[in-house]
Amino acid sequence: MPRKVDYGFRYEDDNYDVYEDYDYDYADDYDYEEEENGIAPVTKAKQEASRTGVWRCPICTYDNENSMSACDICGVLRNPLVKVNNKGDTAAAAAFKFDAPSPDDLVSNGLRSVKSKSKDSRGRGTNFLVESELAANGLVSSSTSVTRERHNGVEENDSTSGSGNKPETFNTRMDTESLPSKSGKARSIIERKTESISQYIPEKWMTPNNKDDGLSQLNLAIVGHVDSGKSTLSGRMLHLLGRISQKEMHKYEKEAKQQGKGSFAFAWALDESAEERERGITMTVGVAFFTSRKYHVVLLDSPGHRDFVPNMISGATQADAAILVVDASMGSFEAGIDAIGGQTREHAQLIRSFGVDQIIIVVNKMDVVEYSKERFDVIKQKLGTFLRSCGFKDSSILWIPASAMENQNLVANPSEARLSWFKGPSLLDAIDSLQLPERDYSKPLLMPICDVIKSQSQGQVTACGKLESGAIRTGSKVLVMPSGITATARSLERDSQLCNIARAGDNVTVNLQGIEGNQVTAGGVICHPDYPVQVTNRLQLKILVLDISTPIVMGSQLEFHIHHAKEAARIVKILSLLDPKTGNTTKKSPRCLLAKQNAIVEVVLQGPVCVEEYSSCRALGRVFLRSSGRTIALGIVTQVIKREE
Amino acid sequence: MKIVRRDIEPDGPGSVKMVPEEADDLWVAYNLIAAGDTVMAVTVRKVLREAASGGRDAERVKLKLEIKVETVEYDKEGSVLRIRGKNILENEHVKIGAFHTLELDLHRPFVLRKVLWDSLSLDTLHQASDIKASADLAVVLMQEGLAHILLVGKSVTTTRSRVETSIPRKHGPSIAGYDKALNKFFDNVLQAFLKHVDFNVVRCAVIASPGFTKDQFHRHLLLEAERRQLRAIIENKSRIILVHTTSGYKHSLREVLDAPNVMNIIKNTKAAEEVRALKDFFAMLSNEPARACYGPKHVEVAHEQMAIQTLLITDELFRSSDVATRQKYVNLVDSVKASGGTAHIFSSMHVSGEQLAQLTGIAAILRFPLPDLDDIEM
Repeated sequence: MPRKVDYGFRYEDDNYDVYEDYDYDYADDYDYEEEENGIAPVTKAKQEASRTGVWRCPICTYDNENSMSACDICGVLRNPLVKVNNKGDTAAAAAFKFDAPSPDDLVSNGLRSVKSKSKDSRGRGTNFLVESELAANGLVSSSTSVTRERHNGVEENDSTSGSGNKPETFNTRMDTESLPSKSGKARSIIERKTESISQYIPEKWMTPNNKDDGLSQLNLAIVGHVDSGKSTLSGRMLHLLGRISQKEMHKYEKEAKQQGKGSFAFAWALDESAEERERGITMTVGVAFFTSRKYHVVLLDSPGHRDFVPNMISGATQADAAILVVDASMGSFEAGIDAIGGQTREHAQLIRSFGVDQIIIVVNKMDVVEYSKERFDVIKQKLGTFLRSCGFKDSSILWIPASAMENQNLVANPSEARLSWFKGPSLLDAIDSLQLPERDYSKPLLMPICDVIKSQSQGQVTACGKLESGAIRTGSKVLVMPSGITATARSLERDSQLCNIARAGDNVTVNLQGIEGNQVTAGGVICHPDYPVQVTNRLQLKILVLDISTPIVMGSQLEFHIHHAKEAARIVKILSLLDPKTGNTTKKSPRCLLAKQNAIVEVVLQGPVCVEEYSSCRALGRVFLRSSGRTIALGIVTQVIKREE
Repeated sequence: MKIVRRDIEPDGPGSVKMVPEEADDLWVAYNLIAAGDTVMAVTVRKVLREAASGGRDAERVKLKLEIKVETVEYDKEGSVLRIRGKNILENEHVKIGAFHTLELDLHRPFVLRKVLWDSLSLDTLHQASDIKASADLAVVLMQEGLAHILLVGKSVTTTRSRVETSIPRKHGPSIAGYDKALNKFFDNVLQAFLKHVDFNVVRCAVIASPGFTKDQFHRHLLLEAERRQLRAIIENKSRIILVHTTSGYKHSLREVLDAPNVMNIIKNTKAAEEVRALKDFFAMLSNEPARACYGPKHVEVAHEQMAIQTLLITDELFRSSDVATRQKYVNLVDSVKASGGTAHIFSSMHVSGEQLAQLTGIAAILRFPLPDLDDIEM
């Protein structure tokens, strides 16, 4: 394995020597075209020397450069009748060009690129032959004609064979530790992006119009201390709103009773794995859909157990609003709000740092305390102070007493007489009263991947997640990071129903074509091919330290959580301490960080993650640092430092 | 490490003949051998001989060489110690002054001759020869999708294997995929476990994880052992302990060593001591920051004021090639001990040693607070 790693490096260097004055941005763009369209390089070669005219795509009416042989947006071939065999003809066809370098040069350059590739990509070798020809041949003219208007800054080619190597070597080493190869790819990718983000113009279909289905999607996370009744509440809601049929409900009840867990019958709707049912807990986030009067609600039922907080982070990162469930029974509430052992606090803090400002507190198990108003008020007061200290505004907190077991105050106003003192809305009404946060429709596509499902039967790869910005449509080309492979979205599913378009804020399942299972990982990001997300293992963060027992010093090892990715991390530098109110630097290079301090630190991660600076994309710029089972700091990415080998 | 013969004057020259018995001993040897010492051992060298017909013949000859050490290298993964230097013993095959790389093997004696045996080296030697049962602990540190198999030795912690797979979540249709992926993961870990954990060498095996992964794996382990009749596991069932940690990453090894049932087993060993000392340091740093300091400058300043109660230092600092620096640190350790304090020398191959190394490699808990240390540049 180490041999392979060196292999990649040496050969990249080789090719850089040859084409050192070429800017390899162009070549990468080129590669993507090659790989996913399967367009014969020949047609491009032919058109490449022509003037920069435009042709109108018959399907989506987008104006493409003349040099493009396929439509940029919908992928339709310009001249569908020209069938060129990728593997066979290219070498022969290439020879026809008049201003091409002599075949000798071609061959020697090509041979070098072929030699320097890994063994299993012979077929692509001929592609690179032609590419290298283009590289050697077309300087300014070819690059400007092929690049689209967005890439203004790009001047010349680069070692196409060199960069062409990267996807190849990368593919073969996907399952091994392929940091170096990834970095090679990522380096080139990162460079491309900086010039064009401001020139991104969203497509017409990306911004929603009123003709669409009137209900928008709301992502709702359900969090709370362990055993507070989250899964049961979710199950009940689904049942009451008709998402679970009577038959299914009977089945759950029967099976639950058999296992001796009769009271968990509703929770079983969400907890589907055998392990979860046996232990009676939720281990990973359960996703369910239902429709209220105003929204299509995506319910994210999170685990409450301490050990599963990483899973809860990964799930709740998609949330727009949250329901915090507290157990009203004597002793349980106190246990939950306990600073050390309780999850109520940690979850509330995490939820707030996800940018969620609307929260509904459901005081569950009211039937156990006889629906007493006093108990409700005590809880409201205690928890209220804590939430205020977290940063929730009183106006955006809703308090709802309810009982999931007895079905009180969930979808309709309470029928129980003892609960008549409560005059507020029922849970469903409260959900309807939530406001949707701002959606970034006009930014390029970004979708952090929450889950990857590989179906063996059809060899398909499916990625689930919530779109943070931009939009995606069936047939659009997407770039999967950190592997850097381009794929096509074959189909989209929302709530188990096929749909055509998904926009920012929607929680969808994307069926990907043109990519292998091991190249898509949970924690990766699906993005627009021209606006790749940054991948790095070194970051500068601005953090707020929570209540901790051991101070953070240089060299502290922690777990780093960002959207759905997690890595082991190490603090390499503590740059400065900040004043919490003004944000100014109070002390440079402090020895250690104590509780409740704001600081800027630099961390190095064990593996690369896809990140964006907080200022450009919030969802991809929020980080959580955990250690010893507790969240010790919340932070935002202030700077992405170029990754080091 | 078996010491066969000692011929040492304290704080003076001397030679020791020893036989390394386990990988840990090679680490000890690595710490002992410095540039300028001489090592004599039996080794194999390729020798060119002229055959009668005139053709050159390369023959591998076993010979005894004494070399003056120039560099020492320790290969963590392979546990091999390589010593490079010039030959100083007259030999029929090898000229004096010819370079040679000695590879020290286990169970082969070698003689180390030093110009100066300082207190530290004598200490190390003493510890190595101590016939204490080794701390050997095999730890399987895992979380869903990631597992590390580590061997915690007397002075060395090696990562034997790392298994990583991506396990999908439990969404409706893909439940079967989740179970299958999990089983495959457990199978991989089991394979690595069987390969690297030898119950004859290791005292006990610890399976640690957050959540319930450890219970699941334990169950899987026992079932497979029954099914495949793996005697090694069936006989040693009682020597497998389950410990709860908060993550499956390597730094959680600290928590494993801290756990009470594991602590009982490794109570008297260096690894446990190191963990305890580091924990004390961090506690002091959070409660009374003025009584804890780290970094060579700060520690020196504190030492000048005779303020050091406990000194924590990694052996990496001693291995620096500069004789003067090594001497300085040796003096530091000696004087701390002389003034009634304690000095802990952390092995940089243990988790706690690694952490200390991140923290500049030297730290101290002080007898009385020194608040103006903060003002001094680190």
